[in-house]
Amino acid sequence: MAKSDVAVRIRDVSHQFGEPGDARFVHALQRTSLDIRRGELICLIGPSGCGKSTLLNIIGGLLAPTTGTIEVDAKPVRGPLPHDIAFVFQENALFPWCTVKENVMLGMRFQGVSRTEQEKRARDALAAVGLNDFMAHHPAQLSGGMRQRAALARALSLQTDILLMDEPFGALDEQTRIVLGEDLSVLLARAAKTIVFVTHSLGEAVFLADRVAVFSARPGMVKASIDIDEPHPRKPGFVTTEKFSDLRNKLYGLLHDEIRKSVESAAVTELNA
Amino acid sequence: MKENSQRDAVVWRMLIGRVGVARLAAVVAALLFWEVAARYRVDPQFLSPPSRIVLAMPSLFETPGVPAALWTAFWEFGVAFVIAVAIGLPVGLAIGLSRLSRQSFMPIVLLLYGMPQIVILPLLVLWLGIGPLSKITFGASHGVFPISIAVVAGVQNIQPILMVAAQSMGARRWQIFRWVIFPHMIPSFFAGMRLGMAGVLLGVLLAELYVSAAGIGYFTLMFTQSFDPSRLLGLIAVLAVMAIALNVALRRAELHFARWRTD
Amino acid sequence: MSAPRKQHEKLLSRGLQFSFLLGLLLVWYLATARWGVSRILLPAPATVWRELDDVLRSGEFLPHLRVTLIELASAFAIACTFGLGSGYLISRTRYAMAVFEPLLASIYSVPMILLLPLYVLFFGLGSGSKIALGATVSFFPIVLSTIAGFGSVERIFVTSARSMGASNAQMFRYVLLPAALPVVVTGLRMGFTIALLAILGSETIASFAGLGHKIAQLAEAMETARMFAYIAFAVAIVAILNIITTALERRVKLQ
Repeated sequence: MAKSDVAVRIRDVSHQFGEPGDARFVHALQRTSLDIRRGELICLIGPSGCGKSTLLNIIGGLLAPTTGTIEVDAKPVRGPLPHDIAFVFQENALFPWCTVKENVMLGMRFQGVSRTEQEKRARDALAAVGLNDFMAHHPAQLSGGMRQRAALARALSLQTDILLMDEPFGALDEQTRIVLGEDLSVLLARAAKTIVFVTHSLGEAVFLADRVAVFSARPGMVKASIDIDEPHPRKPGFVTTEKFSDLRNKLYGLLHDEIRKSVESAAVTELNA
Repeated sequence: MKENSQRDAVVWRMLIGRVGVARLAAVVAALLFWEVAARYRVDPQFLSPPSRIVLAMPSLFETPGVPAALWTAFWEFGVAFVIAVAIGLPVGLAIGLSRLSRQSFMPIVLLLYGMPQIVILPLLVLWLGIGPLSKITFGASHGVFPISIAVVAGVQNIQPILMVAAQSMGARRWQIFRWVIFPHMIPSFFAGMRLGMAGVLLGVLLAELYVSAAGIGYFTLMFTQSFDPSRLLGLIAVLAVMAIALNVALRRAELHFARWRTD
Repeated sequence: MSAPRKQHEKLLSRGLQFSFLLGLLLVWYLATARWGVSRILLPAPATVWRELDDVLRSGEFLPHLRVTLIELASAFAIACTFGLGSGYLISRTRYAMAVFEPLLASIYSVPMILLLPLYVLFFGLGSGSKIALGATVSFFPIVLSTIAGFGSVERIFVTSARSMGASNAQMFRYVLLPAALPVVVTGLRMGFTIALLAILGSETIASFAGLGHKIAQLAEAMETARMFAYIAFAVAIVAILNIITTALERRVKLQ
């Protein structure tokens, strides 16, 4: 059966945490719909708290939406789909008591991969991210950038069609982000996956994505989307082109008001609390 | 700035080198003070200088029953410790793994832990006799609480992101327990075991000292009543050395198993 | 989690707690009333209650309580004097801290109860040996927390005070003391608690007065019901003292 063109179909998804009237009530997402094409890298960008991470968790089956449906490869999502979807998180989701290699292999064990296959895939994935020499290290011994490479290797070794990345470089310094972004682009060009990438960084979004979906302030919904027509892998020089600046400026224009809105509403919440 | 920190490092290294020596010197000075005070100033019925204690060691071990008493105390400790772990670990897991049982039973555990167990000692000896059973029980009951509490903490303070990551990769509940929760809890478990070991040792020693009909308590009573500070202090010293050795061993084990910890 | 669900869980956990404790009480009652456990070993709850009532009404506990409390107060006073004093002196230089702190910490790891026979040899079976043991045990948490408290006052506070011309006395009163106080006060509470435990323990093992001794005496006389009453009483006293000291500690810390 041929796979459809749409890898992930998001229909009328909204989400709230708690009930209206609770102290902790949050209306995270308004009714949002989005079609994610197979093989595209789409960035979700928006102000803090706009629900983009929530949406990512909903796509990945980690959270059940209050309303609406998600379909992955035309199958409705009702829980984690470890064979279809792999996650890369922002915080350190590597198991600290395992070495890098053990971390990668443990992920496959959960997925149900055989032991010999685990070995092979782990080595390949770690080589692909450049961590051959660090397989026996513990996460605590690695820098932030290397840890995220290991997390990426773990996700890649699961050989899923879809990759969900929740601000994977958010905790890293700018220089590391740039390097990792370039490496990621090269890697993904080879891998042909569908990727949903949440980020705060405008430059990162324009550099990596085929399409950027801009979220409004909370409660979030997709306000607009920008297509970025540039072949993969993106060259480091792309960042200096006029095309890049134009796109980045366009993105800035769409985002700026939403950022202001979210900062102001956060201040009001602080005062009222 | 770099210059300053380099200089600080050199000073520190010199300091450390001297600190170890200074500590040794302080200990030696204290021993000397003890030696002189006990030899020339204090009635020998009440206190012995270290030299005389060391010299009395052979006679201590030749006193019939002393080696047996020491050995008894040692294996009572061993058994009590194993029991404390065998009870403390599963109880800790049972309480820690569900939020409801944590909320319900942790307050009870903490309440019992705060209770002065010493007041139960006479009752326990009344019930279980003056033999090893009462000492093992009293020791184990001191060790169970720190171990359970530490296990609960180790299970409870796992970062949620680790559980989420495992779930996202398809892990089932028993897999999450075996591969995520259990390894995460091990350093806390060892810290709890160290505290538990101290508690068990204290419990066993208290019980031994209380029962003056036999064992260590018999000899401490005998040496006290016959004003024999040399052998008394010798006995105490042997027990103290045992306590220190056990502590060091467990600390080593704890460090080994907590290598991956960053906090 | 939503509010009603949280309430539900809280109620359920309270319910479980109550049932657990009630269950224990029930087992106790059944053991003596139905299952034929010897009344000498395990007196009936009602009997214990009666004995407790009698002890409290007659004031029989007073002399024992007085002895224990006086020993506690003396031991704590001695430990405070030596602990605070030497702790402060040691904290004055990094060198002294590096030398003595690990030494004191490792000595503390040995169960101090081992010193009891020595103290009994020295001071006899009276209060002296209990006070000595209580003071010895209590000394360590106090000295260690004093070292920690005064030794870890942020350099920046000291430097800025000195730059504003503070004298040594002012430095102590307005910078060091307030900064160190929370840690020191915790150490004092720990020292107090541990002194009480050591004193009760030594009274149980080798004494002729005090609460611990009374319990041991009743055990030997096989007057179990009354012993249970005294155990409950002693536990209550310890709990009350713990509550008081914890409250005092919190009070000081909030200043």
